Amino acid sequence: MAEVDGQVSEQAGAIRVRALAAIEGAEAMEDLQRVEREFTAKNGPVGALLASIKTAPPLERRGIGQAVNELKGAITCALEQRREALAADRLAAERRADDFDPTLPAASLDVGSLHPLTHVVRRLEEIFTQMGYAVLDGPEVELEFYNFDSLNIPGDHPAREHFDTFWCRSEAPEAASARLLMRTHTSPVQMRALERMELPFRAIVPGRCFRNETTDASHEHTFHQMEGLVVGEGITVGHMMGAMKTFLRELFQKDLEVRLRPGYFPFVEPGFELDVRCPFCADRKTRGCSVCKRSTWIELCPSGMVHPVVLRHGGVDPERYTGFAFGLGLSRLVMLRFGIDDIRHLLGCDLRFLSQF
Amino acid sequence: MLISYRWLARHVDLSGLSPQDVVDSYTMHTAEVEGLEPFAPHLSKVVVGHVVACEKHADADRLSVCCVDLGDGGEPEQIVCGAPNVDTGQNVAVARVGTVLPGGLKLKKVKVRGVESRGMICSERELDLGDEHSGIWVLPAQAKVGLPVAEALDITDWVIEIENKSLTHRPDLWGHRGLASELAAIHGLELKALDFELPATGGGKPYPVRVETSGCMRYLGLAISGVQIERSPVWLQMLLLAVGQRPLDLLVDLSNFVMLDLAQPNHLFDLNSLSKDGICVRDARPDECMQTLDEVERVFTAQDMLICSGDRPVAVAGVMGGEGSKVASGTSDLLLEVASFHPTRVRRTASRLGLRTEASARFEKFLDPTLPAKAAAHLVHTLRAIQPDVTLPRALGDAGDWQDPACEVALRPARVRAVLGIEIPDEEIESILERLGLGVTLGEPWRVSIPSARATKDLAIEEDLIEEVGRIHGYDAIPEQPLTGNLEPSTFDPRRALVRRIADRLSGPALFHESMTYTFQENALIEMLGEDERPHIRLENPQHEGSDCIRRSVLPSLLGHLAKNRRLQPNVRLFEIGKGYVPELANERGEPRELHQLALTRVTPRPEKQDRFDAGAFAELQGVLEDLWRHLGRADFTWRQMQEDVPSWAHPGRCVAAFFGEHRVPVCMLAGLEPEVQTKLGLTGELDSEVACAELSIDELLQIPEATARYEPLPRFPSVKVDVALAIPEDMQATVIRAAIEKSGKGLVGSAELFDIYRGESLGAHQKSLAYHVLLQADRTLTEKDTSKFLGRLERAVADLGGELRKQ
Ligand SMILES: [Zn+2]
Repeated sequence: MAEVDGQVSEQAGAIRVRALAAIEGAEAMEDLQRVEREFTAKNGPVGALLASIKTAPPLERRGIGQAVNELKGAITCALEQRREALAADRLAAERRADDFDPTLPAASLDVGSLHPLTHVVRRLEEIFTQMGYAVLDGPEVELEFYNFDSLNIPGDHPAREHFDTFWCRSEAPEAASARLLMRTHTSPVQMRALERMELPFRAIVPGRCFRNETTDASHEHTFHQMEGLVVGEGITVGHMMGAMKTFLRELFQKDLEVRLRPGYFPFVEPGFELDVRCPFCADRKTRGCSVCKRSTWIELCPSGMVHPVVLRHGGVDPERYTGFAFGLGLSRLVMLRFGIDDIRHLLGCDLRFLSQF
Repeated sequence: MLISYRWLARHVDLSGLSPQDVVDSYTMHTAEVEGLEPFAPHLSKVVVGHVVACEKHADADRLSVCCVDLGDGGEPEQIVCGAPNVDTGQNVAVARVGTVLPGGLKLKKVKVRGVESRGMICSERELDLGDEHSGIWVLPAQAKVGLPVAEALDITDWVIEIENKSLTHRPDLWGHRGLASELAAIHGLELKALDFELPATGGGKPYPVRVETSGCMRYLGLAISGVQIERSPVWLQMLLLAVGQRPLDLLVDLSNFVMLDLAQPNHLFDLNSLSKDGICVRDARPDECMQTLDEVERVFTAQDMLICSGDRPVAVAGVMGGEGSKVASGTSDLLLEVASFHPTRVRRTASRLGLRTEASARFEKFLDPTLPAKAAAHLVHTLRAIQPDVTLPRALGDAGDWQDPACEVALRPARVRAVLGIEIPDEEIESILERLGLGVTLGEPWRVSIPSARATKDLAIEEDLIEEVGRIHGYDAIPEQPLTGNLEPSTFDPRRALVRRIADRLSGPALFHESMTYTFQENALIEMLGEDERPHIRLENPQHEGSDCIRRSVLPSLLGHLAKNRRLQPNVRLFEIGKGYVPELANERGEPRELHQLALTRVTPRPEKQDRFDAGAFAELQGVLEDLWRHLGRADFTWRQMQEDVPSWAHPGRCVAAFFGEHRVPVCMLAGLEPEVQTKLGLTGELDSEVACAELSIDELLQIPEATARYEPLPRFPSVKVDVALAIPEDMQATVIRAAIEKSGKGLVGSAELFDIYRGESLGAHQKSLAYHVLLQADRTLTEKDTSKFLGRLERAVADLGGELRKQ
């Protein structure tokens, strides 16, 4: 019996040494799994030892069983330890980042873009609609009547010369004010608004305008404007100042001084040039910068109280109602906003420009 | 318009106002100022020198070697001078070594033919003071030697540039006196008196003048005798130079001086060259000709007015004199013309002849008809101050049917406060009006009398007076007020809202770039696209020959920019939301139909053989559009291939239109480019690409009702994925197969995604194979049986269509 016992424990000991060496030698989880299969399979060394129980005398069986169980326990324990060690190694390896270069460029995504004018117009629309303004639209190909006559600029008015109007060719010589032109300002929409809006109202009109001017970095024959019009009872110049300051505060996120100078536009009386304190150097110690040409003021928009003739053309009683109007240079505002130095980029349709916004 | 500070000071005491103060006053109260510059700044560097000796240069006949005392207490400087008129005893203008002359020349010590010269004796032209360069500028004897020339001659001045546009409504401000009177009103200063009474004239009949046209309100003809033509005094030359006028001779200078002083143009004729019948102002006869002073032969129409001597034209009324009206050098008898012409007539003639002169610019503004008499007197007084022997041999000829425009305007001081939004007392309003030279009669309402100078154009209604009070009082004194009022909440324009969502979707998930392009389209582009067949509104006065077309659709504008952008990158995604104008759909008022459009273009490399069937521009753009419509809640659309009305630029076989629901008009067209057009657009050779473009009518899309997206319950049972490939004839469209799959599923087909199209020898000619991922889905667990039943039905259905289920 002792002989048998000794034989079995010898065998078990040998298996144990081999198994533990193999487990210890496993460098990866896959190796360890292979070792586990090798030693724990039915036909593996442990299995063979256990199978010997069947041919052993009954008295010896218990001893064999015990030895095998101890062997199994030792292998399982070693496997478990090794598995944990390998898992820890793996995590440690994954945590290493020796090959990481934080200065490598990020993946470049394909993205689309909105036109810079759209960005600014949307912002203005948000500001003004919050202040109760409707956003209106009007035709770019306009009747002479709306662009000029109704705005107190009749046929022989010398102010017409300043507009450098693009006229449309007409097939049949029709009545003079049925002539078509490219609107020279967004102001014709004032008349269209007066014709169809319920009083009182506040409205803005962003849109394209056209003037037959020589083109250069700051002049374009096609440009964008935004008309503003407020008509109601008891509207004063003070209200216009208030409206403009509120809008500028929203746009530039700071309080900016505003000043009115006399300006002549036939469709307003009194007429003003509205200047704003240059937002780009207002906070600096040394006033004046290249944007405001060292003057600290930026000419923002022509404005004024709607001329009674215009109100009457629109069927509005100027004794009861007054109003103010302004014409903001959108293209210029966009250029200021983004620091664009050449107005011709705006309508140039160049992806290198468009994709920047 | 240029204004001289010194000139203003002739009319109002400027001792308390610097040039910058004057500029600020105008800016804040009157008109836009464009600049302030010192007049001839180099004159404060150039000094008065006295020629103490002058000898011929030993080696050059025409050169003189001068010794010039510069009054600095030092030795006289030796200066070599080439002028013929230099002489001992003269006072001259000397630019010393180191002085920089106009044009940037810095004087150095030089040797002229071996003789050292330390400085330069200057001519007027060298000092930018006119064209005179026949000799040096000889200064008056009283000019103090050693002083800068500007100081010695007391001609230091500042030039103020006023923006003409802001004076459009102020004919009275087109001269120095008018602008000085503004300063007087702003600062409460006294305007210096001017003598506007014509001196006594000889007796007898007035000089004969006749006005035969309604375009001339008034014509004054005044004969002047005993005039000597000479150079103007320095003060007059310097004032003219300051405002950019070249002095010529006394007569021309004086005529200019009066115009620039009082804003009243005038003309001096050589009396001896005029007919004994005197002057007649009349409409031109058609095709009548005359050569104007600029030596151009002009042909007139009945719209123009001529000043005639007898019947012979000698000047274009209000615009320019005739070549024959020039004053001969020996003349001492003149006829002074001062007139009022109708502004519109002058403007039309000036613009038709392309002759915008100082005179026409002023007449166009509607000058005061009482001004000619004042201007005539002013000219005679100024002339007499220079040449006291001048006489007026005949009575003044004065013709024309004119009326004094002076008038009265009612003003309610309460209205002034209500419109400006300021508390300004009655007394202040009254004081401002009076400072402006307006008369005030208090009462209910006030009566404000407007003098003729302000009445022609400017002050006619109460609001005009409110502006006067406001601007003189100062707009900076107006406090801001918040807007209040009962307003109906305004709804955001539905089209604007839709456009916003479109732009967001395209610039976001679709990766498109928003562009804006010109409303004008190049004729060459329109022709290239064959769009010139359709009517376009055309410009009468385009900026460039060949770009007079106003777009009727936006897409061609984008197409014109493709090659340029393609050159920079293989993938181009552009869209524009804009307007097009259709002349043939004009309304009864003549306004063309305005179309709101979305144009898109997509450029990709040509798909390779191994690429999926939906690679390339066309399929991608189609996907972008379908996504857009679903996003906008307009998912009920079908594509139909266009047979008729395929635009000439569109690929004839690859052109489809999208129809929505019951809406009969297509909302969108999607097409490839016609190959020849693509070549002409330059997208060929190494820029060769697949190009797709689409045009969507925002007006039509707005009419398609929006369906709100609805939630679909999530499946509770797993779906079964079946891949099928179906071989069918080449001309069978995918939609037929899609319908067959749908039908064979008997409600089980959750989705069927086409993932491959195969053509190859194994299929035979004119065959293709479409492969789908089909997802079967039901509200129960699906079994093998469901799948095999589906496949069985599909096999039969495809066989009925002449095809074959290839594999599963
Ligand atoms: Zn600045």
